[in-house]
Amino acid sequence: MRTTILLFLMANAAAAQAPIAPSPDPAGKRIGENVRNYNIVDSFETGYRYSTVGGNDAQYRSSVNYGDGIRLLGSSLIVTSKNGHGLLFDQITLSTQGLGNDPYQSVVMRVEKNRIYRYDMSWRQNDYFNPGLVTAGGDGEHLLDTNNRMQDHNLTLFPQSNLKVFLGFSNSSQTGPAYSSIQSFDGSGDIFPLFSNVRRVWREYRLGNEFQVFGIRVNWMHGWQDFKDETGAALVTFGVPGAIPIAPETSVRLNSFQASDPNHGTNPYWRAAIFTDRKLFHVNGRFTYSGGRRAFVVDESAQGIVSSLARVQDVVTLGNAERPVATGNLNFNFTPTPKLTISNSTSVYNVRTLGNSFFSEFDSATQTTSVLFYNYLGIRTVANDTNLNYQLSPLVGFMAGYHYSDRLISTQDQFTFAGATSSSPAQQSNQLHSGAVGMRLTPWKPLSVLLSAEVGTNSHPFTPLADGDYHALTARVQYRAKSFRLLAAANANYNANSVSLTSYGSQSRAYSVSGNWTPRSQFTVDAGFNRAHTYTIGGIAYFIDPQLIQGESSIYLSNINSIYVGVRYEIRKRIDLYAGYTRVQDLGDGRATAPAGIGPAPSPFQAVQTFPVAFQSPMARVSVKINEKLRWNAGYQYYGYRADFASLLGYRANTGYTSLSFSF
Amino acid sequence: MSFAVRSGLLLTIFCAGVSVVNAQDKPANHFVNNNVCRTCHPIIWSTFYKNPHFKSIASGEEPPESTGCQGCHGPGGLHAENAGGKPIISFMALPAQQVLDTCLRCHSQTLSRANIRSSQHALNGMACTSCHSIHRAQSVRALLSKPQTALCEGCHTDVRVQFAMPFKHRVEEGVISCTDCHNPHGSFAPTWRMASRPHQVDQAMANEEPCLYCHADKRGPFVFEHLGVRVDGCETCHAPHGSPNSRLLRRPVVFTLCLECHNGAGNFGRQGTGIPTQTPNHNMADSRYQNCTACHVRIHGSNADSSFLR
Repeated sequence: MRTTILLFLMANAAAAQAPIAPSPDPAGKRIGENVRNYNIVDSFETGYRYSTVGGNDAQYRSSVNYGDGIRLLGSSLIVTSKNGHGLLFDQITLSTQGLGNDPYQSVVMRVEKNRIYRYDMSWRQNDYFNPGLVTAGGDGEHLLDTNNRMQDHNLTLFPQSNLKVFLGFSNSSQTGPAYSSIQSFDGSGDIFPLFSNVRRVWREYRLGNEFQVFGIRVNWMHGWQDFKDETGAALVTFGVPGAIPIAPETSVRLNSFQASDPNHGTNPYWRAAIFTDRKLFHVNGRFTYSGGRRAFVVDESAQGIVSSLARVQDVVTLGNAERPVATGNLNFNFTPTPKLTISNSTSVYNVRTLGNSFFSEFDSATQTTSVLFYNYLGIRTVANDTNLNYQLSPLVGFMAGYHYSDRLISTQDQFTFAGATSSSPAQQSNQLHSGAVGMRLTPWKPLSVLLSAEVGTNSHPFTPLADGDYHALTARVQYRAKSFRLLAAANANYNANSVSLTSYGSQSRAYSVSGNWTPRSQFTVDAGFNRAHTYTIGGIAYFIDPQLIQGESSIYLSNINSIYVGVRYEIRKRIDLYAGYTRVQDLGDGRATAPAGIGPAPSPFQAVQTFPVAFQSPMARVSVKINEKLRWNAGYQYYGYRADFASLLGYRANTGYTSLSFSF
Repeated sequence: MSFAVRSGLLLTIFCAGVSVVNAQDKPANHFVNNNVCRTCHPIIWSTFYKNPHFKSIASGEEPPESTGCQGCHGPGGLHAENAGGKPIISFMALPAQQVLDTCLRCHSQTLSRANIRSSQHALNGMACTSCHSIHRAQSVRALLSKPQTALCEGCHTDVRVQFAMPFKHRVEEGVISCTDCHNPHGSFAPTWRMASRPHQVDQAMANEEPCLYCHADKRGPFVFEHLGVRVDGCETCHAPHGSPNSRLLRRPVVFTLCLECHNGAGNFGRQGTGIPTQTPNHNMADSRYQNCTACHVRIHGSNADSSFLR
């Protein structure tokens, strides 16, 4: 029993990174209470959450977002049939979090009756606020203040039988205001603010079945997904006669603008799989096909003034786009001896995206233009992966693997304008070869060591940022005793993707050490330190009024140090105290102030890109057991965000809560 | 006799030999009624009805080797006669491979675990009991030894740090979980990048990158796809766990992210002649051109404009 308590306490400490509320200490007996043939374990926590924010409120809302008000902070209910023969159900598990008005709310439920059915439900809501791309001091024109809701329902009939039936339904939505931008009239870049009302809904229906024939299980699933986006957009004039461009050095005014971009799509898909697990081998195969399709109409109308002349511009675009995706997998696993496992995976993917778009524009200055576009993108990948895992002795184990991929990309950009068709087909292929080796050591039962390395090369990466010639190294040492655990890990990833005119190289290294210690059931310490270093260099080309600048590099450097510590102490099994501290700091390259601009080049290119920030969050919580069924909780958590090169982005937030946890 | 036939025969003889040796190692043992276990292990038994494995006892129709305590720990006859000790199966002492074999006798009958033997977790010597605790579970449903987030972050400490970043997916806040995107039991090869990495990432809607399950508006299909996204995946520009940069971007300044690909160099891109640079009217000394997505608003793909302007 003591071990049980220790594990529970260590788990609580390990979750110290989570927000201050809900409290991890439920009220009531963990073993629950018996009511007739059922056992019930329940706990509800309700209380008041508060927050005061100073500094950049938008930045706070984009990263933390907790507000004020009464909440059902958390609840848990488990009802279990004691003999496994309940009338309508044998077990219900229900947990909720943040209901009331927290920005992050969820409900997860399972109801099951042995051998008859199992029903899983989840409902989640996320208040998503993003002020735009304001990091590093740049202005952002894409504000989002939306509410995302997702719900999933899955019903499995006869879950323990050889003939299972799966039914599922998911419904998700994103709604709320958004602020974006539009470029109109002038192709050189006049940008106007635009307000839109986001309304997106997608639903998915699933039907499937699983059965067994001659020891081989067959699983199939058919799904239908519908997507609907009816977001409309209109000009924000801020009460002035005609919107001023965001960059107002031209004589362009936009008096009215309206756009609707309804698009509806379906994505029916099939999945069929067979699998079997035998004494010496395991085989599975899968085939999937999805046939995504969207129909769209873009309708824009703009009126304004350009160089003192009235200007009208209407644009209509309509068409269809499709993306059929077919995949095939065959995985084979052979275990000739308990010490040796050989696995081989073969996969084939064929992704084709094709569509036509009829673009028609009437412009009072340039008159009517009509263009018919047709685009095609085909990606065919064949991959094979072989791994070998050998446990030489209880002390030493080895693994090795080889991976080969062959990818063929075919594209065609085609347009028809004024009766003439122009097409530019292209094709390219890329081969990846990679190998991995690793070793596991257990020199002493509590001590384990893992070492691994992977090296790979691509013949024709698609982008400079993609893997070219890369290698990765990993080392992990863990010491695990009954009340003490220490983990140290290091990994490094290097990628070089250079060609004659430009270069791209990246290296990232991460080191971490963490541990937790529970000397007594009343006391737990959990702490860790992590350092993540990222350095990339990439060749760039750009224009300066209007000269092409080549041969420069974009260098990005990030050095993130993070530390967390949490201490929990229980007094006489009645009062539970917790204190924790988390700090994440990107030191950049060590400079405390942004580099001054030199010459015409954008300042980020004049020196190493670096953006030092610090994010910290100390917290403290007390939980007092008033009686067997009631606890009182209170907590405080501070959030501080500091961006050294953009002081206006910083914020400080004091948040906290007080609540009662009760069981009945 | 060809080499292939000879190799097959040798392999068959070898496997048969292994089976015989294993059979000879097994001591004579027998199954007993589960109530016998209850006598010495009353605490475990008292709450075992809450355990999903209780289903095997409740049904009353499962064979002894698949029922209750002995379904996992093996026949308990000798163990009971000896008043404890061996030869009962103790999972604490079993090598990872044998733990996997034992659990998969029943739990292989699920497609989501079809790739567990070739998963990165299995290759790295992890056993089922590294994450699951049958008798001391913190979660009723999956019998995890800790809450899921704490469990995963216990080993993946570098990922834990990413979820502590100022901009991150709301995992710590409880609105999503690791298994929304990952399959810890192994997944089929990814359908993006080179079908090699990332490992253990699940797929949405049968064969799509899991990001698109929630971010369905980015899914398309679009007539004008942002090819880098479709070929190499969302993580070309975004750090999916967390980032010090807004919108989980890999760079703090947006235009540097764009220009690192759009430099016209090498054999990259659609036609193998470099990814197109900007046009000369993009004067990067002018701040309005430094905000690429202010004009290229449909950067994830567009149906109306090849430059993603609308």
